[in-house]
Amino acid sequence: MPDPTDAPGPEPDHDGGGLSREDRAGFEKRLSSLDDKLNKTVTPREKARKEAASSVRVSGRGMAYGMRMATELVAAVIVGGLIGYGLDYFLGTKPWLFLVFFILGFAAGIVNLMRAYKRMQADIDAQTGGYLGEDMPDSDDD
Amino acid sequence: MPDPIHQFNINKIVDINLFGYDISFTNSSLFMVMAVIAISAFLTMSMSGRSLVPTRLQSLAEIAYEFIANMVRDAIGPEGMKFFPFVFTVFMFIFTLNMLGMFPWLGFTVTSHLIVTAGLAIMVFTLVIVVGLAKNGLGFFKLFVPSGVPIAVMPLVVAIEVISFLSRPVSHSMRLFANMLAGHIALKVFGGFIVMLLGAGFGYSLIGILPFTMAVGLTVLELLVAFLQAYVFTMLTCMYLNDALHPGH
Repeated sequence: MPDPTDAPGPEPDHDGGGLSREDRAGFEKRLSSLDDKLNKTVTPREKARKEAASSVRVSGRGMAYGMRMATELVAAVIVGGLIGYGLDYFLGTKPWLFLVFFILGFAAGIVNLMRAYKRMQADIDAQTGGYLGEDMPDSDDD
Repeated sequence: MPDPIHQFNINKIVDINLFGYDISFTNSSLFMVMAVIAISAFLTMSMSGRSLVPTRLQSLAEIAYEFIANMVRDAIGPEGMKFFPFVFTVFMFIFTLNMLGMFPWLGFTVTSHLIVTAGLAIMVFTLVIVVGLAKNGLGFFKLFVPSGVPIAVMPLVVAIEVISFLSRPVSHSMRLFANMLAGHIALKVFGGFIVMLLGAGFGYSLIGILPFTMAVGLTVLELLVAFLQAYVFTMLTCMYLNDALHPGH
């Protein structure tokens, strides 16, 4: 790849003696451009490694998290439905309270989900320092 | 194909009938007793030396202590250490039961029965209510009344919050139960595939390597799940206790 900073600079012969002024400047320049190059190759590698490590840690718990989200939602719907059914049974208002509480249960489930999500996010942030790796490249549409 | 559900059968070992209630000593009871004995033996043996430089066993016990103690301090705060014995017991009990279930052949997974996990979850739920009421009196009900909600939608929000609160023991118990049940059924199904393929002749038994690798992988995953679910159950216990001590989020 053509790197503008690294092309110029007189290719000097380093004879043992003291470097002249412009030699030293060229040397510094080359040094810093080498530094840049090194960063360019090392940092992504480092990043990838960090990413892999954290994604293993996070995805190991991914299944547990997923399961938790599912039960969180289902449990609230079940409880809401049962409350409605029970009330209907005692008040003799057959389908209506069941329907109302079923929907309320669904709302409660969503509330549960959002709370669980907030806690999980806090967990994950604490574990990974908020770094979950680069975003996946957006391959399709938009 | 061997029945994958068969492993969850409850068998009576000693038949006991008390006032018309069946309280027989079953294989489930046996494994719970085994878990209690194992935990007690582990903790007494490991802490008998009490050396400054811990032995291997002692450092295991210390790791367990510190793991739970940190969890309690993080989730509830320093005053939560009052509940440490309870939380530690819950964690060790569930973790040991899950692990005992991982033994091939003789293993029986007590936590794969909804009634057991529901019992544990209801115990936590009751404790939360009792502690909440004792600590905060009627202030505990602030849990159902989030701050900054306009009066008009308040009844709706309170109803949702109450359902959300009541759904806790359900999801709490269902999660542990479902994870253990599903995992052990999956293990058994893949195990059954191996047996069937082995019985089907030489060519087929070679294919049996595939479900075998799957079963090995699943076993590792199940060991992880056994720990993780005990951890999640305990973590949520801490969070619910935190709600009881500090209502009104």
